[in-house]
Amino acid sequence: MTTGNVLKKEKITNEILSKAVQSGSQALSEYESKRIVATANVPVTREVLVHSREEAVSQAARIGFPVVLKGSDPALTHKTEMGMVRVNLKNEQDVARAYDELMDKGIRLDGILIQEMVKGNREFVIGLTRDPQFGPCVMFGIGGIFTEALKDVSFRVAPLTDEDAQEMIHEIKAVKLLDAFRGESAVDEDVLVKALVGIGELGMTHDEIAEIDINPLIVKEGKPVAVDALVILTTHRT
Amino acid sequence: MEKFFNPKSVVVVGASNSSFNLGATICNMLKDYLHYTGPVYTVNSKGETVNGCPGFSSILDLPQTPDMAVIIVAARHVPGIIKDCAKKGIKRVVIESAGFAEDGQNGAAMQREIDDVARANGMRIMGPNCLGTLSTRDKFCSFYGVNPSLVEMNQIFETPGNISYIIQSGGVVVLVMESLYYDLVGINKVVSIGNKSDVDEADLIDYFQEDETQVIGIYLENVADGRKLMEAAKKSRKPVLVYKVGRTPEGAMAAMSHTAGMASNDLIFESACRQAGIIRLKSINELHSLPKMFTEMPILKGNRVAMFTNSGAFGSIAADLLVEAGLHMVPLSGQTQDKLKKAGQVFNVKNPVDIGPAPPQTYLDIFEILLSADEVDGLLPLLSVWQTFVIDTLQELLKMCKHYDKPAAIYTPNAVAKSIAIRAKHRIPIFETPEEAVRALSVSHTFYESLWKRGFICDHAECDTIDDNRIMKGTMEAAL
Repeated sequence: MTTGNVLKKEKITNEILSKAVQSGSQALSEYESKRIVATANVPVTREVLVHSREEAVSQAARIGFPVVLKGSDPALTHKTEMGMVRVNLKNEQDVARAYDELMDKGIRLDGILIQEMVKGNREFVIGLTRDPQFGPCVMFGIGGIFTEALKDVSFRVAPLTDEDAQEMIHEIKAVKLLDAFRGESAVDEDVLVKALVGIGELGMTHDEIAEIDINPLIVKEGKPVAVDALVILTTHRT
Repeated sequence: MEKFFNPKSVVVVGASNSSFNLGATICNMLKDYLHYTGPVYTVNSKGETVNGCPGFSSILDLPQTPDMAVIIVAARHVPGIIKDCAKKGIKRVVIESAGFAEDGQNGAAMQREIDDVARANGMRIMGPNCLGTLSTRDKFCSFYGVNPSLVEMNQIFETPGNISYIIQSGGVVVLVMESLYYDLVGINKVVSIGNKSDVDEADLIDYFQEDETQVIGIYLENVADGRKLMEAAKKSRKPVLVYKVGRTPEGAMAAMSHTAGMASNDLIFESACRQAGIIRLKSINELHSLPKMFTEMPILKGNRVAMFTNSGAFGSIAADLLVEAGLHMVPLSGQTQDKLKKAGQVFNVKNPVDIGPAPPQTYLDIFEILLSADEVDGLLPLLSVWQTFVIDTLQELLKMCKHYDKPAAIYTPNAVAKSIAIRAKHRIPIFETPEEAVRALSVSHTFYESLWKRGFICDHAECDTIDDNRIMKGTMEAAL
């Protein structure tokens, strides 16, 4: 990575974080959370934030069907529970209808997020938390809706070496899910290692970030992609 | 830090002739039991002499500035005494009194007051709420209330060893010291750190790099500064064994994210140990049962283990344990099996090697064959002592282990009580259960891997037993 690139990424992160801290938000929207984790080498879905039905339809066509529509706002941390997600939209009519439905909910939004629909059988999670004694720590584990029920996760204290990241990936019980699985190729572990190291680095350099959930990280043809992300800010934690 | 363990002069603040006075027990220990030759002063309200230790009513009146002050008075008097210590120029203070941060807001405020005075005057504080230090080679001990005959102090001081313990709770100090009476471990130093307002486990890990210590055993109730502990442990070329209480989850209450909700203090501590090369113990007993594997045996450099038994059942029991511990039951090569066949009396020449009634030479031949085999990294002898010569062969085994630079974790299924009785005398590291023996192999290998990971060794051939400081140092310097 060139120095220019690093500086550019750092600038994006700083801009988003300082704006959010000033506005008094507790968290970032999914869109902004993903822009930040993307700077930390986490691959994210292709997505665009739109503000009109026309824009929604044209951007969906550009990303390629099927797409997913989600209501976007920093305060909206539980989109699925609030009914603010529409998946598997196959054409322009679907997108236009979904757009209207989300807007009609009467929930405050800063836009509608149009994103590629990523299909895969394996879902992982990457996270960041701050331990009172050890400071920023990175988590890896089984993601998706069963994350909390299975609790199949591993932790490392940041900063992580590549070796730390490799070890923690192999520490989960369901480690076999990393191999070739039901006709899908093995998970690209290099991508996971870079992402885990990157998230640890983010925790070390940005005290404003209290916690991060990247869940699910869906594996498509061996490549993990962050389908949802949530950055919680430090300043407004009680 | 050295003078905390080997002060040339001491003042015990709070020692008096009142009945059940705890400070007086420290004077008695130093004078009557350890025959400490440096001056011991006491400070008490009457300024009275205690067991021949000259008494004063204030620290400021002492005829000299002692190397160390031991304070054992009610907590509310401590801040004032610390100020007097500062005025007198005392640089090391052990505060044994309780009633500080562990005892609510008032106590915490007093502890902060003490810290401020100490920092401003360049003093080091041990405690509060601790027992202070013990050093077998320096014949020094600041513990209060210890009856030397009850905790077998004689053995501890007469046969100094190479294990140093950092123990947060005073009660556990006594437990560990008592257990050692039955085990093959000698103590170098013990330190009880209590609330560790200043000197903490990380400072002591650093300090123990420079003395006779070979293994560092730690009992922790809380970690004050996790990153400082990790840094100290990463730099330690001596094994750091930690038993930590408080495995219950905490801090998940205020979490907004799933990640913070699933992070428990215990999980994070576990990860920190792996990253820093700390060996995390599973029970308090391991504080005394495991160090002998490091002091008496070479390190297990690979995970391929050969078992040797004269009682088949124990082969199967230990095989399960080995696999659970992530070690490998090595398939013996054709060449090794041929040699074993020639040794005679061998029922099974595959791993686990099983023999029937046999003379001593057969035992020795088999030890030799297994330890010299390239495919074997270490040995798990499970030998019933059906004849006393088995013990003699174990002594020979020790020598062979050093020669081949491969360890053996010895377990004697049928004569545990007898084996324990002789192990200290003959310095044979015998483990009391098959679980303990397998665990010893497993931690030895974990330690080897962590030395490797932390850059202390560059090549598998370069590693040697940890009691050979010269070689270890050389290797470390090469690595740096």
